Amino acid sequence: MLRHQVFATAMRQWFRIAFPRNYLDRRKRAGFLFVLPALLFFGSVFLLPLAQSVTYSFYKIAPGGAKEFVGLRLYEKVLTDPTFWTAVGNTVQLLLFCVPTTVVLALAVALGLNRIANLRWRNVWASMYFLPFATSLVAAALIWQWIYDPIYGFLNYALSFIGIAPKKWLQSLVEVRPAIAAVSVWVRIGFDTMIFLAALQSIPQEYYEAADMDGASAVQRLRYITLPLLNPQIIMVCILELIFNFKIFDQVYATTQGGPAGESQTIIMLLYDTAFKYFRFGDASVMAVFVFVTLMLVTLLQWRLFRKPVEY
Amino acid sequence: MKRSGWRMLVILAAAVFAAALSGASVAQQKKLVLWTHWDQNPEFNKWYADKGKEFAKKSGYEVEVVTIPYQGYEAKYLAALMAKSSAPDIFMGMTHHWCGQYDFCDKMPADLAKTYDENLPKYMAEVGKWKGVRYGIPIEHGNFQQMYINVDMFKKAGLNPDDPPKTFDKWLADMKKLTIADPKGGEPTQVGFAIRSKGAPVGITDKFLPFAHAWGARMLSPELDKATGYANSPQMVAALTFFGDLVNKDKVASLAFGNPEDAFGQKRAAVIFRESWFFGWLKKNAPDVNFKVYALPCEKVCPGAGALFPWTDLVYKNSPNKQVAWEFMKFISNPKDDMEHHQLQGILPVWTPNLDSAYVKARPDYQSTKDMLAQQVPPTYFHPKSNELATAFGEAVVGVLFGKGQPKPLLDEAAAKMDRILKD
Amino acid sequence: MNSIASASASSHQAGLGLKQVHVRWLITLAVACGAIIVFFPFFWMAVTSLKTAPEIQRVPLQIAPDHWLNFNNYFEVFKREPFLRYLLNSTIVASISAVSSVVVSSLAGFGFAKYDFPGKNVFFLAVVGILMVPFQSVVVPLYVWMNDLGLLDTYAGIVAPDLVSVFGVFLMRQAIETIPNDYIDAARIDGCSELRIFWLVILPSVKPAMATLLIIKFMWSWNEFFWPMVVISSPQMKVVTMGLISFTNMYFIEYNLLTAAAVISILPILLIFVTLQRWVVQAVVMSGLKG
Repeated sequence: MLRHQVFATAMRQWFRIAFPRNYLDRRKRAGFLFVLPALLFFGSVFLLPLAQSVTYSFYKIAPGGAKEFVGLRLYEKVLTDPTFWTAVGNTVQLLLFCVPTTVVLALAVALGLNRIANLRWRNVWASMYFLPFATSLVAAALIWQWIYDPIYGFLNYALSFIGIAPKKWLQSLVEVRPAIAAVSVWVRIGFDTMIFLAALQSIPQEYYEAADMDGASAVQRLRYITLPLLNPQIIMVCILELIFNFKIFDQVYATTQGGPAGESQTIIMLLYDTAFKYFRFGDASVMAVFVFVTLMLVTLLQWRLFRKPVEY
Repeated sequence: MKRSGWRMLVILAAAVFAAALSGASVAQQKKLVLWTHWDQNPEFNKWYADKGKEFAKKSGYEVEVVTIPYQGYEAKYLAALMAKSSAPDIFMGMTHHWCGQYDFCDKMPADLAKTYDENLPKYMAEVGKWKGVRYGIPIEHGNFQQMYINVDMFKKAGLNPDDPPKTFDKWLADMKKLTIADPKGGEPTQVGFAIRSKGAPVGITDKFLPFAHAWGARMLSPELDKATGYANSPQMVAALTFFGDLVNKDKVASLAFGNPEDAFGQKRAAVIFRESWFFGWLKKNAPDVNFKVYALPCEKVCPGAGALFPWTDLVYKNSPNKQVAWEFMKFISNPKDDMEHHQLQGILPVWTPNLDSAYVKARPDYQSTKDMLAQQVPPTYFHPKSNELATAFGEAVVGVLFGKGQPKPLLDEAAAKMDRILKD
Repeated sequence: MNSIASASASSHQAGLGLKQVHVRWLITLAVACGAIIVFFPFFWMAVTSLKTAPEIQRVPLQIAPDHWLNFNNYFEVFKREPFLRYLLNSTIVASISAVSSVVVSSLAGFGFAKYDFPGKNVFFLAVVGILMVPFQSVVVPLYVWMNDLGLLDTYAGIVAPDLVSVFGVFLMRQAIETIPNDYIDAARIDGCSELRIFWLVILPSVKPAMATLLIIKFMWSWNEFFWPMVVISSPQMKVVTMGLISFTNMYFIEYNLLTAAAVISILPILLIFVTLQRWVVQAVVMSGLKG
């Protein structure tokens, strides 16, 4: 009976949006209309194809191209496949490397930049941090592959000066994931720094002055004023970084292709191979659904857990 | 911003939108669209368009060649072939994928098919066919590995460059002589063999298969329906052990040398197994490397001329112009055009009458190619799931190379996985 | 009030003296070092683009090219590919995408930030959910759809998935949330329609966010590879990222040409960023003082 009531209420509300009876209704309709273009766009470009690929996840494409309904069998197949879980594990490891590193570094850089009084120099350094964001992921990956090259790469050359033996980087079972993570951090750090910097700029000076008068140290200022006020941005950045790194593909595809020995096989890389090299569209769609659901759950969790109301 | 500023922005936006709606110019000339992802052979690809101009004189159709970047081409092909109306009329790909896994190919007209059956080298008879029916024209002969040696390095090591090793045992002994180890125990400064260890497992399988075949092993059963008992046969284990030992025990090959082609071109490796296009690359990028080409060494049997990636030109089944497409294929299917086409790019022609032409005779791989062709034809694996099967197999090979495990258990695992793939 | 407070604060700081200056210097040094490390790959890229292919593979490594003014790679890039056309295409595509994003995101941000309508949270979640859809799984249906609309190989087709940005909606929503409701209510009392409120009250207040979004979306769209690669077949519609890839192929990568092409493709972005960024930072700083 409750569901029936909720449904009826919703229908009533929507009816009033379509045919507003008073000023408040008109306001609500205005709000909806403002949001409508974005919704229409996302719905048609992404949600419709997503729905289509979800339906694919219940079908198997037989040789010759014919489709065959198989229910949840593909879900069972993919979710019990050790290769799939290895890819998930690799992706999670990459995440654990990238997300905290990027967020912490970006915060540190933003705090540092904020302290620089000379506006001109601040712009210069900020631009340098932002520049990697201006390269395409593919170009960045290829340049870094060149830097990582065991023989001709600059990194081994530089390390040789401090006595470290040349490492195989993208060719090594152990170093490949941190190496790829470093590329992601490099690309994203400027973007997050800019977000944090903009937020830092809008914290009123009075708060800091009040804290100074109370005799607060720099660390205390950071902990009790800056970080709480930056909370919404930190959450947003964490969510964005998580999503971005979970879906990592271009860098891996352009360089290691999942190698060596599957050590850099990420979920999306596996999805691409499954869909386009192995021609198993149903399986790939299962993976897509998995990615979507996982990210949605994690985002909701992050949102709920870390959201703290800030008293102004 | 002032009013005028906003106005400027609006006008600019309108101009940009107008430009957006214009898009590419609409061509009035009738044409056949040919897609290829052979992006390293631009002259080869352009020849189709040039021939198309001649073809247009009698048919009214020109040929437009679109080179798809190799990165991500699978997605683009699939999307286009599924969308039907924007698909190419002719496309380059592997027959057993596009005609076997999917149903995108048009059957070759019987007379043309007969022509090809009569004029292709014996080992290529099945290339372009699926289940006995011919769909595609092979575009490359010599897409099998041969042994390139660095003459100077051989001489320096006291080996005779005119007398290459003919068995893998002798070959290994020679590799050891050609390897200069690092006294400090690090990576060698020079290796005997340039091994392929990076990139997708499919490529690594491709490079390992000559070893497998030389030991008498095969990746799948003759009917291509079973992997266990073949991919993990004792012969395969022996072959993989030998291969892995090159890196791990004998240390005549190294994983730290990056691209094997670069290693060979940089004179840091004395031997590489590569296909016939390689010497063209050498001439261009490493002109100072003094090399010779020989047939691969043998073990129990000789590896023979095998290819995991048989590239063919195919005609799209749903193309409205498929009749004309086949006309064009007939138009270029003769020894003279075959010769001209391949000579442009410096690769081997496909028609047997051309295999003894002056052009081919003058190539450094002429004799070695003949020797390889005289060897037994190795197994082929033209199965729709070849990518996935080769990847699963390649994981075992890579695992052994990187010391992740022993050959037998890894191969057992790979064979089980391949069987699951086959049954799916 | 502001100036008095800051004056007393600065005198307070001056009392702390040398240690404060020391710390400030260290921070600046750290930031600068970090910036140089982050910038290094670009330097490396630029330097590599001045080398010939054999120079690049020289062992032991040599940082400086043989001839600092060796622009052959750049000439080769333009000779091999109609790179100017690619730059034009990318500019058009990225501009459309950026402008469209800013417009639609601002509207949507306003709706989400300042209005309450049934299903608002669900819709917002749906928008966020877009980010979680792997593009590879929607590319084929999207392509078929574009084909049915006849938009393949057109600017409209290239731009289609890029017209609105989820991040944009996020950003604008956050920016608009900080606008005090009093301003909006005051405008309402004055009799403004909702749209006029948007135009007169909201937009002027979020200019820095809009400019930021413009730059970021332009950059993001400029660097798109996968979708343009799938939807474009004709050579004259290719974009810059596809031009870059043409210096790699099935077998190897021509690093000397690739780096030259990469430098060429970054320059326009750099230009835009440098011109707009000053405006952005200025606006951000000014708005900070206002608060």
